[in-house]
Amino acid sequence: MNEIILSTIPFLMDGLLMTFKISLLTIFFGSLIGVVVGMLRSLDYAVITYPLGAYIHVLRGTPFLIHLYLVYFMLPMTGISWLQLEAFPAAVIALSMYTSTYVAEIVRSAIQAVPRGQSEAARSTGMTALQSMWYVVLPQAVKLMIPPMGGVYVIIIKGTSIVSVIGIAELVRAGEHATQRHPKEMMMIYGMTALLYFAYCYPVLRLARWAETKFGSVRLPS
Amino acid sequence: MDWILDFYNYRVVAQYLPEFARGLGSTAWISLLALGISLSVGTIVAIMRMSTNPLLWRIAAGYVQAIRSTPLLIQIYLIYFTLPALPLLDRRLDELEGGIIALGLNAGAYMSEIIRAGIESISRGQVEGAMSVGMSYLQRMRYVVLPQAFARVAPPLLGQTAVLIKDSSLVSFIGVFELFGAGLVILNERLMPNEGFLTVAVCYLAIYTIMLSVTDYAQRRLGGAVS
Repeated sequence: MNEIILSTIPFLMDGLLMTFKISLLTIFFGSLIGVVVGMLRSLDYAVITYPLGAYIHVLRGTPFLIHLYLVYFMLPMTGISWLQLEAFPAAVIALSMYTSTYVAEIVRSAIQAVPRGQSEAARSTGMTALQSMWYVVLPQAVKLMIPPMGGVYVIIIKGTSIVSVIGIAELVRAGEHATQRHPKEMMMIYGMTALLYFAYCYPVLRLARWAETKFGSVRLPS
Repeated sequence: MDWILDFYNYRVVAQYLPEFARGLGSTAWISLLALGISLSVGTIVAIMRMSTNPLLWRIAAGYVQAIRSTPLLIQIYLIYFTLPALPLLDRRLDELEGGIIALGLNAGAYMSEIIRAGIESISRGQVEGAMSVGMSYLQRMRYVVLPQAFARVAPPLLGQTAVLIKDSSLVSFIGVFELFGAGLVILNERLMPNEGFLTVAVCYLAIYTIMLSVTDYAQRRLGGAVS
């Protein structure tokens, strides 16, 4: 029993490392896209707001599993050479797009939570819309974004489990491989996998809750 | 029209229409059963979570934390692959039962948080009124608190149901045939990912849009929601 745990742990750790890598890349790129989309949407130009609203609606309305398959299998069908993605970039791109919808809604809610008088005052001193956003509204909104971002990060970590389906050796995949070596110990191996996820996600959730008591938070549209 | 056929051959889709219909029906059934489980589990866990008995609320809180901190996929695997033969059933769960139970238990944790917010929003006077007419704890819950709580949190519960329907695509990992599985059939038999997955995506999007308008309707009918 002990030997099995000891012999399995290194493989699971490799998987955890991959999960860690994907989740870090995704929170970076997902936030990048999300902040841009959320800011553009909060500017309230119908030409921009509606297409971006559709982007969010479509990505939210379909399972992540579908995005993954579409990016991994459909983009190569277009025959364009730089769209022939390997599994790893395909996973990061699909997950980043999915993440960006959550981030965009958080950013928009946080910006809307900043009192309107702030941007009006900024505009009346002669700042442009972008200047007032950058120097006045965003610095105040950022604090409100921190707590819900913890929740988004946990969604990403849990989302990485699904990319095992296109053959990326992350934590779930590592667990599957381990169960093939020790089919009798399935419960223990999957249990260990679950514990590793828990060890990664739970502190993030606690941190987010702590941040919420410290900075306050925004109410997100469900 | 040839360029459309290259990218999205709707004739193939038409050929596989029965598969998609079967998948859609299967997704509907799986989601409905999982929804039933999740609402029952969610209500029980919410009431346990609010109990003053430390054993009860700690178990409930631990359950919610454990579910929220682990991916649904691993929960499905744990329930389907590792549960031994169940005593009453006298056999192991098949993939459909395992998938539905895992989905229900997963959504139950999220539902319980919403239901708890609903119960907490019911004013103390309601409970006191029910007590003063001599209702027992169960009667108070059943006839006074829960009906109002559910009405109040119906919109977020519906939103969570939309998430549950999307998540049901994951049971295809353990070999359950549902909407996503219909897309996989086209991929495997025809090597046509576009026809398979774009069609599935449109179906899910249609379900989501319907759920969204139902949620909007509930929000308007039932007034302000607590979340």
